[in-house]
Amino acid sequence: MTLPPARPGSATPSQILAFGLRKSLGGTAVLQGVDLALEGGVTTILGPNGAGKTSLLRCLATVLQIDTGSLMIDGLDPIHESDRLEIRRRLGYLPQDVGLSPAARVFDAVEYLAVLKDVGRGHQDPERARRHAVVAVLDQVGLGDRLDDRVGDLSGGMRRRVGLAQALLGSPSLLLLDEPSAALDPDERLRLRSLVAELRHRTTIVQSSHLTEEAATSDRVLVLVDGRVIFVGSPASLASSAAGRVWIQNHAPQTARASWLLANGTYRCLGDPPPEAMLAEPTIEDGYLLLRGSPVETG
Amino acid sequence: MTFATDPERIERNWRSITVELDAPRPGLIERFLRRLGLPAHFTRLMVATPALRRSWFIALALSILIGLGATDAAKPRDDLFILLLLAPLVPTLGVAMAYGLSADPAHEVTLATPMSGLRLILTRAAAVVGCSSLFLGLASLFTPSTTAMAFAWLLPSFGLCAASVAAMTYTAPRKAAAGVGGLWVILVTTARVVAADPLAAFTSSGQVLMAIVTVLGLLVAYLRRDRFDLLAASS
Repeated sequence: MTLPPARPGSATPSQILAFGLRKSLGGTAVLQGVDLALEGGVTTILGPNGAGKTSLLRCLATVLQIDTGSLMIDGLDPIHESDRLEIRRRLGYLPQDVGLSPAARVFDAVEYLAVLKDVGRGHQDPERARRHAVVAVLDQVGLGDRLDDRVGDLSGGMRRRVGLAQALLGSPSLLLLDEPSAALDPDERLRLRSLVAELRHRTTIVQSSHLTEEAATSDRVLVLVDGRVIFVGSPASLASSAAGRVWIQNHAPQTARASWLLANGTYRCLGDPPPEAMLAEPTIEDGYLLLRGSPVETG
Repeated sequence: MTFATDPERIERNWRSITVELDAPRPGLIERFLRRLGLPAHFTRLMVATPALRRSWFIALALSILIGLGATDAAKPRDDLFILLLLAPLVPTLGVAMAYGLSADPAHEVTLATPMSGLRLILTRAAAVVGCSSLFLGLASLFTPSTTAMAFAWLLPSFGLCAASVAAMTYTAPRKAAAGVGGLWVILVTTARVVAADPLAAFTSSGQVLMAIVTVLGLLVAYLRRDRFDLLAASS
């Protein structure tokens, strides 16, 4: 007998509509009027430490309540208990700290979340359906052969993948990933990107990152600084926002907004170029740094 | 001779078989709990919740200590007083150690699931209270008193747990448990001094009072259940 998926995945990605989101924590404003309209694809939130990325993801994950503003996910308002629980049925969430117990077996750690997510509900044999769903998501993240391993014996990257497997349970239509590639080695990062690319057609994915290369592979980039969204657009438009404002020169610049020493001994400079400057092709990183407006130390 | 086969179907069936073979078997405790008739999802929650293991261990250790303390003293009513004073604190402490960001590293990821926070904390509380009641019940059997008074800690246990769960909707779990526990010690000790009877707080009127506290505690927790669904309040 072959079991159908433990919970039929939503055919359409979730829609997020947010207007004027504000949130303060311990007297500090962490979100200051965030507006969002997202549906489908991958959105990467870029921003410096303390910009409000994690707080925004927590609000979208409904574990943090907004102070003012309006947030609707698939037309559901997380302020109401029934709506909140319905949103959570559609949600996959990978926080920065997954909080796995080192003594737990990989299978058990994921099955624990499967129980909380009620995976297998509605099947003739829910327990069996749940087991199948757990193995399926562990296969998906490449840990199908580590079911019996203790979490404490896994590398940091593998633990992250266990967390990702937990998030993928129940075929979520909204996937929120807080720095998913943290602690992943380059191979694992590529695997993650492939997985995200696979899911982007049926899931709305919002991830935070410090890596501009990660933003380059997403459908849209959102730059958050001091709790405010200062840019939303495609990775290409973020890069092109720096067009004509990036140049290379052989000596330390005097007037650049930001500059850094490259391995070949030249300086990459951002800002208003001098007349004789050798302009360079702008990258997402250039666009991001110019938007952020904070100086970069010269090498 | 040729067979008409559907490779995809064979693959699916083969996968189904391998999942059944590969999925690890439940551990000894989980199998035991299932034999007692507890549902599979409940036993899974009980066994796989990292924070509960510590709570159970604490409950076991404290029950043994309290049991030893209660049987060593020379005066039977004083023995019983120690047991009845301390026993209700065991599950209260256990519940506080089983919930919240500081006790449960998986708290945030757990919150983002469709299981309501109130249901989750009540499930964990039931597990801790059930476990500690079993141990404390055994400890009570070894006290010099053979009357029902040796089990007069049971209703206060429920009352204190319910009161601390209600208090958790206002403050962090450990602070809530500490506050409720402290209040309990003050009240019981005061009753002892005022009535000049070590067991004054555990008479039938005291038991009725604790039943009311249990109901009120659960009512407050239910009315303020939203607080268990959010990160900041329950941390």
